[in-house]
Amino acid sequence: MTEGRSLYRWTRDIHLYVGLFLSPFVLLYAVSAILLNHAYLPWGGMAAAPVETRTVRVSVQDAENSLDVARQVQRQLGVRGEIGFVSRRRGGPRGGPRLSFPIETPGRTTSVRVDLATGVATLERKDTGAWDALIYLHKMPGPHNATIRGNWLFTRLWGWLADGTVYLLLFLSASGVYLWTVLKADRRSGLISLGVGMLSFMGLVLAVIA
Amino acid sequence: MRPPRLARDLDEMNRNVRRGAGAAERVRTARVRVWTRKLHNYLGLSLLLFLWLFAVSGLVLNHSMWSVAKFWTARREATTERVIRAPTVTGDVAIAAELMRQLGIVGEVGETRRVPDGGRFDFQVVRPGRVVRVDARLDSARARVTEIRLNAWGVLDALHKFTGVVMDEPVRTRDWVLTRIWSLAMDALAVGMVVLVLSGLYLWYRLAEKRRPGLVALALGVACCAFFLYGLGVLLA
Repeated sequence: MTEGRSLYRWTRDIHLYVGLFLSPFVLLYAVSAILLNHAYLPWGGMAAAPVETRTVRVSVQDAENSLDVARQVQRQLGVRGEIGFVSRRRGGPRGGPRLSFPIETPGRTTSVRVDLATGVATLERKDTGAWDALIYLHKMPGPHNATIRGNWLFTRLWGWLADGTVYLLLFLSASGVYLWTVLKADRRSGLISLGVGMLSFMGLVLAVIA
Repeated sequence: MRPPRLARDLDEMNRNVRRGAGAAERVRTARVRVWTRKLHNYLGLSLLLFLWLFAVSGLVLNHSMWSVAKFWTARREATTERVIRAPTVTGDVAIAAELMRQLGIVGEVGETRRVPDGGRFDFQVVRPGRVVRVDARLDSARARVTEIRLNAWGVLDALHKFTGVVMDEPVRTRDWVLTRIWSLAMDALAVGMVVLVLSGLYLWYRLAEKRRPGLVALALGVACCAFFLYGLGVLLA
């Protein structure tokens, strides 16, 4: 009996503190999910006007790996952030060798285009705003360009936090179910809520995929 | 000057009124707490499966190197040749809808592509776990229909992103009723999560002895999010 009560109290306290820690993460994902679900970006985004455009001379050692080449350029430009993707064009009849890639941080994107023949890099920086930063964090690290994703320390850190958010959310929901089952007075109404939720979920998923 | 007896009575009455008002306030607070707790519990229970779906699929989306995330390579494809009637309607979505009726295809119209000569019209119909590509030759009244089916992980992945709209394509709208209902469910989950957070914050605030450690946990979470949202920008400026 005492053991059960002690387990209940421990679970309740951990549920409380984990929930409080996760609150801002849940708000971040919830608000950005609504924006994504309506393809709505109140201000800024990639449509924002560039706040800085400059040209820099860089020296690039050729390498097989395009990310390595992009990183060489990034170091010389002194712009920190995640390289979103790398597009590399070897020289040909339509023009000389070129490299282009974006350097991204939440709320800011710097597009870089390098003429590898002349060593001239052109940068265009856009401040995409707080709403875009929310969406960026929602989608990071994401499924695209997995081989290069996490080339910036803070993207890796955010990736761990995103994973941690999922694991802790699963813990919160499981511990919440346990706490509910202990409260005898709430069982009936709780069962109805759980049942309604399960039925609407199953019905909706089956209708959408069947 | 007020007689002493009357003054004492007035003081006593004021004290009783204050006590009564305090008790009523306490009852009201207790009632709000009970209802907030019920809301927190029942809302959490009703959203449980939706939350698990988005949590697990989000985890898989972030780990595309995991074997379960490689559902595209395990897809099944089947192609058939079908006879069609050239649609009389105009507009890409309307033509696609007409051809879908003829071919018995149901779902959200994805990309459409019309080749300039006017004879060829290609489009995609999407529903979670299934993609149908239709390459229609309107001049020869034939269509090649390719159906791609994904496994359960592919279905999960698609459900996570099934909104019917795209951020970079503002003209695209939801044209299937179930896409609208599913996106409504996504909104409901997001709003429900916000309500869960707010009700949780209120319930915590009412627990005086948990305020200090709770504040530490909350501040830690806020600091992490604020750092990534704003702090990085300041650091890199």
